[in-house]
Amino acid sequence: MKGWPRSLGGQLALLLALALFLAQAINFTLLLRERQSLRLEQITGPAATRVIDAIERTAQGRGPVGDRGRVRRLAANPIPATMFAEPQVASSLRGALAEAGIHVGRIATGRRPLRATDPMIRGYRGQAAQRMASKTDELVIAVEQPGHGWLVQRLPWSNDSGWIVWRLIAQTLILYGVVLLPVLWLGRRISRPLRQLTQAAERFGPGEDGEPVPVRGPHDVAATIAAFNALRLRVTAMLAEKDRMLGALAHDLRTPLAALRVRIESVEDETDRARMIDTITEMNRTLDDILSLARLGRSSEPLTETDLAALVDAVVEDFRDLGNDVSFDEAARLPFRLRPGLMRRAVRNLIENAVKYGHSATVQLVPDARSVAIVVTDRGPGIPPERLDDVFEAFTRLETSRNRDTGGIGLGLALARAIVRDAGGNITLANRAEGGLAATITLPR
Amino acid sequence: MLDEPAMSDTPHLLLVDDERSIREPLAQYLTRQGFRVTQAGDAASARTRLAAYAIDLAIVDIMMPGEDGLSLCRHIAATSDTPVILLTAKAEETDRIVGLEMGADDYVVKPFSPRELATRVKVILRRASAGGVRQHAPESGSYAFAGWVLKSGERALVDREGVSVPLSTGEFNLLLALVTRPRQVLTRDQLLDLTQGREAAAFDRAIDNQVSRLRRKIEHDPKSPEIIKTVWGGGYTLAAEVARL
Repeated sequence: MKGWPRSLGGQLALLLALALFLAQAINFTLLLRERQSLRLEQITGPAATRVIDAIERTAQGRGPVGDRGRVRRLAANPIPATMFAEPQVASSLRGALAEAGIHVGRIATGRRPLRATDPMIRGYRGQAAQRMASKTDELVIAVEQPGHGWLVQRLPWSNDSGWIVWRLIAQTLILYGVVLLPVLWLGRRISRPLRQLTQAAERFGPGEDGEPVPVRGPHDVAATIAAFNALRLRVTAMLAEKDRMLGALAHDLRTPLAALRVRIESVEDETDRARMIDTITEMNRTLDDILSLARLGRSSEPLTETDLAALVDAVVEDFRDLGNDVSFDEAARLPFRLRPGLMRRAVRNLIENAVKYGHSATVQLVPDARSVAIVVTDRGPGIPPERLDDVFEAFTRLETSRNRDTGGIGLGLALARAIVRDAGGNITLANRAEGGLAATITLPR
Repeated sequence: MLDEPAMSDTPHLLLVDDERSIREPLAQYLTRQGFRVTQAGDAASARTRLAAYAIDLAIVDIMMPGEDGLSLCRHIAATSDTPVILLTAKAEETDRIVGLEMGADDYVVKPFSPRELATRVKVILRRASAGGVRQHAPESGSYAFAGWVLKSGERALVDREGVSVPLSTGEFNLLLALVTRPRQVLTRDQLLDLTQGREAAAFDRAIDNQVSRLRRKIEHDPKSPEIIKTVWGGGYTLAAEVARL
């Protein structure tokens, strides 16, 4: 929803503000109605008394003069149609008169603003009179006594509805101040440590021993933070344990491999010896890949400004030195911030696959405005389209479609993708229309 | 422990590794290669043998129970001029640097080729006897020349703007050989010998090829090179001041 605050404190405050406003509005509607009915009573009570009194006087033949001129008898209705009528007063007055057994003809009412000089405002002077006048209207009530003309009286009509609106606003503001400020404060007290917790959780990378999140805020929040800190310690300890285990595993596997490698030197048959050496080299490479994959993200290698073109060129050259058919058109300098050792490994793994399954590789570096693509193409059998995603899973190899060559479990692509993703990029595979596979590393600039 | 009969011109190696499965066949292999080999299963017995014999070179495994290989290496470097080659099971960069800082002359990562190890032993022994002065850890540290910095730890060349230019293994080995011997004329044979550390098959042409690739990377005008110069009939030389960083 637009304009709806997203933070806890904001939502709490907005919800409370709306609820408070609604409650205030209901309160004031009730108050207003009560005031109005009270005012009606205050008006109709005396008005009815006077009318009854005047009618009785007339019946007794005394005339209305004794009432100090408040009720006058006129021949016609003196209230012009332009004056504001108060029908409620009229009906209420009729009811009061009927109760007293007096039946009258028409009742007309009219209201108009009172002037400060009006004799009705007695005992006030100057500003006080002005203020009084602005708050008070004059209400004229004319009651028709059939056959005797109209009985007319003037009454003050307090007109304070403006004041009541101001009172509503002032009260609401005070309530907001009293209730919302603590709520906002509480919201902040909850949301600030929660925000810190969120940031810590997002930042939490396996390799880093960041500071624990300060435990504060209300108990619930503090307990959550403490639990997170403990969880982080456990995760870090587990990861450290995993690393230690992998290190020990690698050492324990490398030692017999090394022993074997030394002994191979005494094998007489040269072809046999070469094959054994290849196998051991391959096993060792796999071991390296497993370790790299397991340790990725906690790499000790720093980010270095590196010429990506030279990096690809160096990897290609290493393949050529070993007699592989790998071509690369030298590209212009392309400085990039990356971990050169790992990126070399990623590019090497792609080229290695191309050489292994496609017998040759063509490498291209294609820079554009926002990213750089390293495209490795081969002329091998490609990959069945429905299995293009599977090959990224560690330990997958497509025995059915790709011929099995020297060892190697499908770890190379998984490692390459992990490295490239760690650098913010991605690897995609696609079968080429002209045959063979194109593996593309895309790195954002 | 296995001791071959002493011969004054046979280099005497001390092989320290707690793994008998590696130590014994390796000792046999090195003996066949014409070295006299004394074995030790831990750092303590290595120290005894170092004191008892005139050891020309020590091959030390890093991961050993008790005192580890790095500590032994530091001891050897502090008390003698005996060169040390470390055997490590970890290819991690940091271990390599630490090893070289501990005074090791070279390292090989398990599983290593015994041939490669023998070659390295020979190279180090030849350097020690030829130069007399021991060239400590040629692979460690950085070398500044002609506006470039060669960082051996990272196997990369850094240009004036601080951008790292990765080198292929062959290029790196060649450039390192040249940079550690500035203004010396190095024949193709010598360069092959110096760069053959890794088991890559290399030929005469390969050296020329790598020189021209390096020139394209570092020379202002690769057609008239100023840094790596060709010496007619001889080989190549690095014609620049080199500062060890």
